[in-house]
Amino acid sequence: MTGAPGPTVPAVAPDNAAAAFKAWLRRLVTDTAELEAFDAGEIDAVMDRHSVSALLLPEAQTALHDSSRIVLSAFDALPGEVCVLDAKGIVVMTSKAWRVSGVAHARAGLDVRTGENFFAACLDAPQNERAHADAVAVGLRKILAGAQRSLRVKYACPSPRGRSLFTLTMAATSVQGPVNALLTREWHGEPKQKVRRVAPTARVEAENRLLAALPAKDYAQLASGLEPVTITYGEVLYEPGEPMRDVYFPGNCLVSILTPVDGNRALEVGLVGREGMIGASLAMGAARSSVRALVQGTGIAMKMNARRFLREFRRSQALQRVLLHFTDRLMVQISQTAACNRFHLVEARLARSLLMTAERMRSSEFHLTHEFLAAMLGVRRVGVTVAAVALQRRGFIQYRRGNITILDAQGLETACCPCYRHLQVMNA
Amino acid sequence: MAGKRKKVAVKEAVTTVVVMRLYIAGRAPNSVKAIANLEAICRQHLKDSYKLEIVDVCEHPRRALDDGILVTPSLAKLSPTPSAHVIGNLSDTSSVLAALGVQQAPAK
Repeated sequence: MTGAPGPTVPAVAPDNAAAAFKAWLRRLVTDTAELEAFDAGEIDAVMDRHSVSALLLPEAQTALHDSSRIVLSAFDALPGEVCVLDAKGIVVMTSKAWRVSGVAHARAGLDVRTGENFFAACLDAPQNERAHADAVAVGLRKILAGAQRSLRVKYACPSPRGRSLFTLTMAATSVQGPVNALLTREWHGEPKQKVRRVAPTARVEAENRLLAALPAKDYAQLASGLEPVTITYGEVLYEPGEPMRDVYFPGNCLVSILTPVDGNRALEVGLVGREGMIGASLAMGAARSSVRALVQGTGIAMKMNARRFLREFRRSQALQRVLLHFTDRLMVQISQTAACNRFHLVEARLARSLLMTAERMRSSEFHLTHEFLAAMLGVRRVGVTVAAVALQRRGFIQYRRGNITILDAQGLETACCPCYRHLQVMNA
Repeated sequence: MAGKRKKVAVKEAVTTVVVMRLYIAGRAPNSVKAIANLEAICRQHLKDSYKLEIVDVCEHPRRALDDGILVTPSLAKLSPTPSAHVIGNLSDTSSVLAALGVQQAPAK
């Protein structure tokens, strides 16, 4: 694209970072044949001896970025339930259908997500599925070891509608690289289909406690307006002052409620997971959000259009009751957090925050960057580092590049401020 | 042994196994083109008598550096000697054939 005339460094003043980076990369190329190919736009990457890495040209970077987005969205559009594994059995990607069905059958241990180890998920399977899960693990080992091309395992599991049967097909891929096995799930018709919309247990699909608390009739009326969506870490659902177009009932995801202070700074005042909803203030008459709702843990939530939600809220007394109860508990949490932020030390607050996150995510491993934690606790990044190091030194947590593992939950609880226990008692 | 001698005597590209290594950078556009171009050339001119190894420098940067690779895509002909290198997306078939030592087409 540059079309530089000679082998000397181009005198073009780089008008943006990409051009500057490309000009810098060109300087690393010494050989004439390589320079010709570089100037003809036929090069994707230049090797760097110092960092022992391949430095991609800006054009290659954007192309790779775009192509991975295309692949991901095409994969999501597949009608089947598909999961891709690497050589160690780690889930590389899953189709949307896989994720939705996984959440619906989370109790059966089918909610295996990207980054998780499939073998570990087999080990975690409920007792009554042990035999099936073991058969899957054994089969998968054979596939990954190259001893078998493909294998089908019939699997029975409890489902929202009784007991369901599906076939799990495991196949080795011929592609060399990060993809080693392909799993597909085919369901063999769920029993008692006639109760599909009214089934009281169908609300388990949402895994959201507010929805689960509704009587079957009320839930059935609400269900047609609910749409499962995946919300991802860092996504902003509401901005302060902006209209709330949809409401969300978190399933296995976690949303942080932040109050803007001045300019860019914000402080976390509440944390909402499967026990609550985002957008409850619509029911209290607010049309615009007063807070920022920021996704803190990726997962599935049930989404509903704001207008439909208001209609349902007016119609269903049960929904009104459930929501008022939740709003009351959220207010308790917000006021407790406000007092906690004023009086307690960062380390104790960090411990509380981590325990609350783990509880709502139902996982002792999650991802939270320093920036995120700093915003949550209203302190500087350095403050977070010091507190995290202290908790790590005491053996309560492990913190690596934003990946947090709670090693000793009981220990961590001793490091918490009393607010954690207080909130637990209030929410019980 | 006798068979091997025969192969040398015939002097046809089809009978000599050409060993090549192509260095690419993931699914970057020129790398994808290079693989497609090289596969087309091999199919047409080398039939089954070639061995191709594809090295992704994003995954194996150390190996690429040890092999003296500076940019990708980059094709190295390892055998038969003399070894040769072609840089770029390999869209210029004649230069690739020349580097591989295939004299099928009377280019000159």
